[in-house]
Amino acid sequence: MLKHFNKSPVWVLISSAALILLPFVNDSRSLMIMITQIFILAIFAMSYDLLLGYTGIVSFGHAMFFGIGAYSTGVLLSRFEPTMLWLLVSIAVGMVVAAIVSYFVGLLTLRLSNHFYAMLTLALAGLFLVVAEKWRSLTLGNDGFTFRVPDVMRDRLSFYLICLILMVAVFFFLMRLTNSPMGKVLLAVRENEARTQSLGFKTIHYKLISSVVAGVIASLSGSLYVLSLRFVNTSVFALDVTLDALLMTILGGVGTLIGPIIGAAIIEVSHHWLSELGKSYVIFERWIIFFGILYILAVMFFPKGIVGTVKEIRWKKKRPSKVETNNKNKRIAG
Amino acid sequence: MDLLLNLMVNGLATGMLIFLLAAGLTLIFGLMDVLNFAHGGLFAWGAYCGVWVYGMTGSFMTAIVGAVLTGVILGYVTERFIIQPVYGNHVQQILITLGLMLVLSEMLKVVFGPNQIVAAPPDYLAGSWQLGDVVIIKYRAFIILVGVIVFALVHYVLKNTKIGLTVRAGVMNKEMVQALGINIKKVFMLVFMIGSAMAALGGVLLAPYSGVIYAEMGMDFAILAFIVVVIGGMGNFVGSLFAAMLIGLSGAFMTYFVPDLSLAVNMLLMAVVLVVRPQGLFGAKG
Repeated sequence: MLKHFNKSPVWVLISSAALILLPFVNDSRSLMIMITQIFILAIFAMSYDLLLGYTGIVSFGHAMFFGIGAYSTGVLLSRFEPTMLWLLVSIAVGMVVAAIVSYFVGLLTLRLSNHFYAMLTLALAGLFLVVAEKWRSLTLGNDGFTFRVPDVMRDRLSFYLICLILMVAVFFFLMRLTNSPMGKVLLAVRENEARTQSLGFKTIHYKLISSVVAGVIASLSGSLYVLSLRFVNTSVFALDVTLDALLMTILGGVGTLIGPIIGAAIIEVSHHWLSELGKSYVIFERWIIFFGILYILAVMFFPKGIVGTVKEIRWKKKRPSKVETNNKNKRIAG
Repeated sequence: MDLLLNLMVNGLATGMLIFLLAAGLTLIFGLMDVLNFAHGGLFAWGAYCGVWVYGMTGSFMTAIVGAVLTGVILGYVTERFIIQPVYGNHVQQILITLGLMLVLSEMLKVVFGPNQIVAAPPDYLAGSWQLGDVVIIKYRAFIILVGVIVFALVHYVLKNTKIGLTVRAGVMNKEMVQALGINIKKVFMLVFMIGSAMAALGGVLLAPYSGVIYAEMGMDFAILAFIVVVIGGMGNFVGSLFAAMLIGLSGAFMTYFVPDLSLAVNMLLMAVVLVVRPQGLFGAKG
């Protein structure tokens, strides 16, 4: 039993305990805000990885769900009292809307090839961006609006802890999900859908569940994101948001849950670093180019990401003898 | 009456531009199984390079040639260095072409500056014809004419030449074509270059039509082209023409009557097609 025990949850618990202590040791406000952002984006990236890494579905409109959460929280909190109750209602509304949208997107395209889901999500996210820009009475377009948040969320420290707890909760929820029998079917769909179907699984159901869960979690991260800024505008629907999720997932490690968290940390830190550099060198203002090139190179030469590559190296180190005996057996059999 | 006719000409002209983009997309998809998300980037590059050449030489025809050349070169580079290394892996292909799209449109801002660039049609295409009480803007008629010529040319090549036969056979069964001793990789590259050239041609034709060009226009038109490809049927060349006309016309009429809903209507059309006929309105088989 202990032999098959996965060590990564233990590491997550240890490092999150360290992260709980961090704000009490280091009282740098900007560092705390940046780490809070990393937690939020890690939730977003993990939801994306459920689609890309565990089910093999490519979505180019994940920003859509992020934006749905962002706007439902922003709009409801600015229209009503900024109390805890309305905050929870607004997060729940975002999740429900995201679930409905992702359900219908999935229903339309998931029975077809991968390309259709990618195309439809890209187009729909574009539609949401246009709607958010045109529906000025509700969203104030690209100018956006600020809103007040409940007092608990105003305190940077408690917000930091809330985001940390939520990230760890999402991590364990997704770990439980992907290790469940359902998660194994999702992996099978990723590897070979036709074969999974012929084994008697209705793959469309599993893909739909994956799509809805990913949408709902992305909506949660969108809500948290605008809570940290206390401001929302149309940029939450932009393609850059989807690209960030893609980069975090691919760079960190597709098909792992630690990967997106590490990826989120790397991307967020380099965001800061590059925009600092942009102040002194003009070329760094166009940092999307660097991210784009990095992304292409990562897809080409580094498709497993950091965590995947580390795992591979460790696996090779651990059992060279076993591989050898296997080869011997093959030779004998041949 | 003249309003309806004007809207129709307008819609057909836009439709032709979308067709030039979608035709390459659908041909590449049909033959290579690659959905090129960077196609909009090639479109925008065609527009910028064309306008730049037009500004340098003052001749619109040279600008068109320049744009098409840009498309061919970028198409070659994309196919050789971006698509070929990940050939056969669908997820990687989809991911990598989106990355290329972003790099291409950001590079535009670096090379040509982040601001919009103004473009006007040449003198002999400016102005309009007056037929009774109907006014036809010359440049729109010119776009429709070019679109029809390109369609006829590609259609003729596909139906009547050896290379067209190879391409059509490749769409049906790539392995079989290769087994017959034809280097299908070369055919892939050729089709990719032609598709890119058509996208770049669409871009340079759009520039004087809309008056301004900007780096994000590639993505805007690519979304329309994806809708067209789905409606016309993935891999269906003739279907993409009809679907592009449909989207162009619906766009023109909707922007006049209910401007806020024009993109939503196109999306709705696509959703209906996905539910009823996922192989496309004009597709023969799924």
